[in-house]
Amino acid sequence: MSKTFRGGVHPLPGLHQGKPLTDNKPVKPYVSETVCIPLNMHIAAPPSTPVVKKGDRVLMGQVIAEGVGPRGVPVHASVSGTVKEVGNVQQLGARTSPCITIENDFQDEWVELKGLGNVETCDPAAILPAIQAAGICGMGGAGFPTHFKLSVPPDKKVDTVILNGAECETFLNADHRLMLEYPGKVVDGLRAAMRAANVETGYIAIEDNKRDAIAAISKAAAGRKGVHVVALRAKYPQGAEKQIIKAITGREVPSGKLPADAGCIVMNVGTAAAVADAVIDGRPLVERITTVTGRVREPSNLLLRIGTIFLDAIGACGGYTVEEPGKIISGGTMTGIAAPSETVSVTKTTGGIVVLSQKEATSMEESPCIRCSRCVEVCPMHLNPFKLKNLCDMNDLKAAQANHIMDCILCSSCSYICPSRRWIMSSIKNAREQIIAQQKKGV
Amino acid sequence: MTIQWIHVLYALLALGGVGAIFGLILDIADKKFAVEQDERVVKVRAACAGANCGACGYPGCDGFAAAVVAGTAPVNGCTAGGAKTANAIAEIMGVTAEASEPKVARLLCQGAHGVAKERYHYDGYRSCQMASQMVGGPKMCSYSCVGLGDCMDVCKFDAIKIENGIAVFDENKCVACGMCEKTCPRHAIAVVPKDATVLVRCQNSDTGRVAVEACMKACIACKRCEKTCQYDAIHVANGFASIDTAKCTRCGECAKVCPRGCITVIGGQAQVVA
Repeated sequence: MSKTFRGGVHPLPGLHQGKPLTDNKPVKPYVSETVCIPLNMHIAAPPSTPVVKKGDRVLMGQVIAEGVGPRGVPVHASVSGTVKEVGNVQQLGARTSPCITIENDFQDEWVELKGLGNVETCDPAAILPAIQAAGICGMGGAGFPTHFKLSVPPDKKVDTVILNGAECETFLNADHRLMLEYPGKVVDGLRAAMRAANVETGYIAIEDNKRDAIAAISKAAAGRKGVHVVALRAKYPQGAEKQIIKAITGREVPSGKLPADAGCIVMNVGTAAAVADAVIDGRPLVERITTVTGRVREPSNLLLRIGTIFLDAIGACGGYTVEEPGKIISGGTMTGIAAPSETVSVTKTTGGIVVLSQKEATSMEESPCIRCSRCVEVCPMHLNPFKLKNLCDMNDLKAAQANHIMDCILCSSCSYICPSRRWIMSSIKNAREQIIAQQKKGV
Repeated sequence: MTIQWIHVLYALLALGGVGAIFGLILDIADKKFAVEQDERVVKVRAACAGANCGACGYPGCDGFAAAVVAGTAPVNGCTAGGAKTANAIAEIMGVTAEASEPKVARLLCQGAHGVAKERYHYDGYRSCQMASQMVGGPKMCSYSCVGLGDCMDVCKFDAIKIENGIAVFDENKCVACGMCEKTCPRHAIAVVPKDATVLVRCQNSDTGRVAVEACMKACIACKRCEKTCQYDAIHVANGFASIDTAKCTRCGECAKVCPRGCITVIGGQAQVVA
């Protein structure tokens, strides 16, 4: 019996889920003529500082920006070539992001790499510095610096590392294909993380609609110390950090606390594969698998260099099948961000690019709440979404906080299930942003 | 059937008696358990604007009145009431209110539809806070008025309307409570003295090239206003010009030379005050 948590939704197969478009498409490498690499792909630290200038020739894997502070991670050139520009470009953030644009010379000339060798025999103390030097941050979407996640504070006791291969997000197959094609790397990455954090138990969690991936990973994990493969029920948001911990270990992360408080570290499988590369070969994170799908001619899973412009990635899939795309979403359709144009870049966290037609992208009009409480049933955090929505619309932020608005994980299951098409998640997100802004101001 | 008046009398006596007894109890309780309240609190409360807008920073007018009498709030703290209220409260408290000049909220942006370029069509949740976080906001200028009406929602005085994608202020209704200024996620609203009629209506910190691409009326920090001003009142800092209202004489010369039209003279005609 597959494990799971209480709540959640089952996005319907077909258009709602969109997975069949690309789930059997092997990963294709694609390299574009220019890359525009943002320097703030990670969170929890200021943007990295550029160390190259316009006109410099850079090699693949060369550090082009140094991390700031203990949490900061460096950024590496993902192609060899000439630096065309160092400056601010509008990415998906509220303000422009510092970016380095590099023109590719298609030589793919690497800098000299020095790895630690086998993950089982290398010095565990050398693993975290290697991960930091490789510029790895969470590739599932949040972009939290991995070395920092794995360095457990001494007052907390962590006994489990969970690799998140659930990929419950609609449309995306990047992690699925990664687990099928590079199962060895995923397992090596888990072992490296376990040794670095000094943990004995490791789980690789995969939803039960990816039987082939479960088989491939189980084969690769056979005989490895402390590695378990777990099947989870296919459900959204099965891949959310707190839900995956609950499903596998039965523990609940306390309100307002981190997974480490429940004795767990959760990492994406993509991050684990990058960790394996960083530890074994010393290879920095310069490329990732991204699913490009939706209204494109050939939906595919592409191995893209970090910094590839969306337009190039969509071009590699044969362009649009609609005249004018309605929305281009960075990430899946449940939690992704709509891109304003095709000029934004693929970052370390971009798991997918979903193109929707104008009809699909039309926002639905809200109608009044009918008190059916379906949102309450599906809320994976066991909150009262309809109540929160009312409080947010009345702008009663204090009452919303008393009703645990800050525990919401913004999965938008409530908005998805609502028969009145109410914009529950949007309201909650807006109120949370206001609360965070107020807290910053110190009100 | 005859009316038995005696029954009516019983009823009247019984009810009247009960009423009298309870009245007596209430009266005794009122005297015995009286809460000592400074009568000035009541008076100050009555003098406040009474909108419960919260602009003073206290929980409504009652909270403010209590704070004034306790000495923790200034007598001119009720911004919504203006000078009249300040003087009234000062009289109650037996002090003199510092002269507060009449103020008004103004939008430091002219990026209406057709002036500021659109970055994308936003059809999500109607909130400036939300939209401004989304990829730099719906307008190309990431310093502009977002135009979704967060200020309109918090305005208790119905002084703000959204017209043509930009907030429009009704000077006569505005009491300068400053709630819109606090709410605006772009900090594009400023509460300024009512007579500060010459204003730079742009706060775009981008370089000139980027600013020009974003908006037809963006300040490009060319410093022509700074060179023109004889009173040292206008200065360019952080990529846009701003006016020191204390030094400004409202001569309007800067507005005449501004190549981008981002300095406006309210009331049309420039008037020389100096």
